[in-house]
Amino acid sequence: METSGQLLLTVLMGAFLLGVAAFLARVEDWRSYTPLGAGGGAVGESGYGHAEKPAGLIRWLTTVDHKDIGLLYGAYATIAFVVGGLMVMLMRAELTTPATDVLGSATFYNSLLTSHGITMLFLFGTPIIAAFSNYLIPLVIGADDMAFPRINAIAFWLLPPGALLIWAGFFPIPGVIPAQTAWTMYTPLSAGVGAGNQANVGVDLMLLGLHLTGVSATMGAINFIATIFTERAEEVTWANLDIFSWTILTQSGLILFAFPLLGSALVMLLLDRNFGTTFFAVEGGGPILWQHLFWFFGHPEVYILVLPPMGIVSYVLPRFSGRKLFGFKFVVYSTLAIGVLSFGVWAHHMFATGIDPRLRASFMAVSLAIAIPSAVKTFNWITTMWNGKLRLTTPMLFCIGFVSNFIIGGVTGVFLASIPVDLVLHDTYYVVGHFHYIVMGAITFAGMAGIYYWFPLVTGRWYQRRLAKAHFWLWMIGTNVTFFAMVLLGYGGMPRRYATYLPKFATLHQIASLGALLLLVGGIIWVYNIVTSWMEGKRVESGDPWRLDETNLNTAEWDWFEAKRETSLAATDGGEEVKTDGGQESRADDE
Amino acid sequence: MATETEDAHDEGHHLPAVEDWPRGFGEASWWPFVTALGGAGIYIGAALYLMSVGERNIVGPMVGPGVLVGSIGLFLVGIYGWMYHAFVTHFWERGADEHSASKLRWGMIAFLGSEIATFSAGFTYFFFIRSQNAWAEVAADLPHLLGSLVIINTTLLIVSSVTLHFAHGAIRRNDRKKFLGWLAVTLLLGVVFIGGQVYEYYEFIVHEEFTLTSGLFGSAFYGLTGLHGLHVSMGAVLLTIVFVRALQGQYSADRHVSVTTASMYWHFVDAVWIFLVVALYVGAEVGA
Ligand code: HEM
Ligand SMILES: [Cu+2]
Repeated sequence: METSGQLLLTVLMGAFLLGVAAFLARVEDWRSYTPLGAGGGAVGESGYGHAEKPAGLIRWLTTVDHKDIGLLYGAYATIAFVVGGLMVMLMRAELTTPATDVLGSATFYNSLLTSHGITMLFLFGTPIIAAFSNYLIPLVIGADDMAFPRINAIAFWLLPPGALLIWAGFFPIPGVIPAQTAWTMYTPLSAGVGAGNQANVGVDLMLLGLHLTGVSATMGAINFIATIFTERAEEVTWANLDIFSWTILTQSGLILFAFPLLGSALVMLLLDRNFGTTFFAVEGGGPILWQHLFWFFGHPEVYILVLPPMGIVSYVLPRFSGRKLFGFKFVVYSTLAIGVLSFGVWAHHMFATGIDPRLRASFMAVSLAIAIPSAVKTFNWITTMWNGKLRLTTPMLFCIGFVSNFIIGGVTGVFLASIPVDLVLHDTYYVVGHFHYIVMGAITFAGMAGIYYWFPLVTGRWYQRRLAKAHFWLWMIGTNVTFFAMVLLGYGGMPRRYATYLPKFATLHQIASLGALLLLVGGIIWVYNIVTSWMEGKRVESGDPWRLDETNLNTAEWDWFEAKRETSLAATDGGEEVKTDGGQESRADDE
Repeated sequence: MATETEDAHDEGHHLPAVEDWPRGFGEASWWPFVTALGGAGIYIGAALYLMSVGERNIVGPMVGPGVLVGSIGLFLVGIYGWMYHAFVTHFWERGADEHSASKLRWGMIAFLGSEIATFSAGFTYFFFIRSQNAWAEVAADLPHLLGSLVIINTTLLIVSSVTLHFAHGAIRRNDRKKFLGWLAVTLLLGVVFIGGQVYEYYEFIVHEEFTLTSGLFGSAFYGLTGLHGLHVSMGAVLLTIVFVRALQGQYSADRHVSVTTASMYWHFVDAVWIFLVVALYVGAEVGA
């Protein structure tokens, strides 16, 4: 029954939160965490903790340091990723049989579907990018901190209450049920009219939570724009600004116009639901107005999510190819081009709604055009690797996985951009396959590349290399099994967003669920690896753990790391940790 | 910086929050947390309110408003502490270089960019219904939009932008008396404008029975003028803060960033108003 499904989810989330609590309790030095992972004893001596930050929990609640805030974003995004992942595992379990045998009700499936999408896009996607940008941008552009450190902290602290509001429907509050509108929140369903149950206040809570996270994202974007414009060190000019900063700058520009517009649309929807306005009522703006506003936000949002991961790949991939990024300028130009064009393609999500055909045709043209800058980047990555001296480290594997999955995601996108093809494939699993190749296969892969690449920078330790490789292969295979099965399901005519299906789709659905299982196993390995390595991984033995100097590809954040190591080694002079670490030849963890 | 040592300070690492509570830590401040808690509390208060209305009855009717008011209080405390420690204390000792000024200006420019998007959704709705066939019906019973009130109010707001510009010019020349004078006039004009808007609402709601729920145009009118009214009020608050600080003797020819940023905001709100009058007031009546 529905309640048993709810119960299951509650138990899963409870177990997960217990795990988090246990982890926090076990990290004995979390109260005094230092990026170098110095043991508790060395802390006092190294002089940490008396000038910049208080100790203990208060440090995390009061911090305005961009690196701490980056870590908070990272922890938040990880929790959201696990929650969203558990939700989709329940969905995939349901989809192993044509009837609703597993969860017992389509209503609960619809709730999970809605929450999975919103959680992954708004609570995992945007924050995980903010984790990287907060930690790294000030370091790579040579700034002391973000332009507005306090606004930075406020933006983060708006997120946890936002998540609580979004998930509130799942909590055992009498009279509140989860939203079942899907992440696109199309009216009239989401306006709560008609015979359904979406007039329930659970939808209002979700809309409020979404608005709050949007405010947070906008504050972050303003901060990054001001930071990149005004806080660059003198030697960092526009001409030699790194690619990751370029993508964050462009992304922030997109956020600036996309999120507030969504915010207003959400408020209008709330007014329609509760105060009798007619913004999206059928006699007023109607469902089409909602779709225009939503997708005017929604399409830029997909580039908000993909540009910084592209930046990470453009930044990391050359380091393990032994050469500079091929055609750097063109990668920057294509980023800017995508930024501009992404506001001109939104109606390709509305080809099947009966909007004016002339409008449709022009949106088709721009949508096909946006594939060009995307392809420019892809060719640049491939050419960077061509004849390069590849080192297949874990971050590099994830970068290559990114490129490969992005190609499939992009090519399927181009087909959808063509009106006649889209009319056949719209609202089928093909679309689900298309965007998951990108959001999972590309965006999340790039996030993992970044996490493994900068793990030594942040923790001063190495992750476990074999586990990391296992993670990669499970995910590479899992992603392609799951989402290629979805592409095929779409060709077969399987509509998206259904808890039940015709028996003829069973095999492909089961294959997709099998792939999802691989993703789950890989995910568990990832969490285990990160947690245990953070606590007791092998210590990094040099300021240049990836041996970038050998190929002259060192970057500013590693210089910072090296400088910090030196000062901290000097401060803990002769400490036990230092002796065991000292003097060895540095070696990258894996080749 | 976790392992920052003394010599790293000497290299010029700047500590952003030395004054803030908890005292004595360069990179720790309670204000963001308090502000965010208050800000999020406003949403939670709204959520609780929605849980009480109609037949929902999930929480008592006063819980939501209570949380709302408490949160607004907390929010204001947070903002106050933050502004105070970041900008007001040590006003004359703080660095006033071009760099810190330009970063605040860029912040404001970016924020105003986001404001354009905030207003766009409502305007899009209005253009949507304005261009539909159903408009003929709507136009049949519009309230009386283009009266002397709008003209006076618009004039007031435009003049207030000019007087603010004079105030800004005065402080650039270190002419404190004129600065304070023009600022006071601006503030007065702003407050009268808000009064005019309230009066218009009163007229419409009580005498013309034209309300938020009066149908297609009601949503557009109250949605857009309401959003704009919130912005003017917020601008008036900003100008009041600037005014109070000016009365306390702050600002000079080379220290007036917040005068600049508050002015940018005020001019922006003014420009939106002009657009709004042309699109909504004139656009609804002319050719209707
Ligand atoms: C190569 C350029 C791309 C093109 C031409 C393209 C085209 C399209 C089209 C036409 C649709 C609508 C399909 C339908 O509903 O009938 C679509 C859906 C979608 N695309 Fe793409 N896409 C591209 C890249 C991307 C990227 C980079 C992302 C993510 C970062 C993305 C995420 C999505 C999502 C999330 C949806 C589904 C939205 C929904 O209905 O829930 N796409 N794409
Ligand atoms: Cu799109």
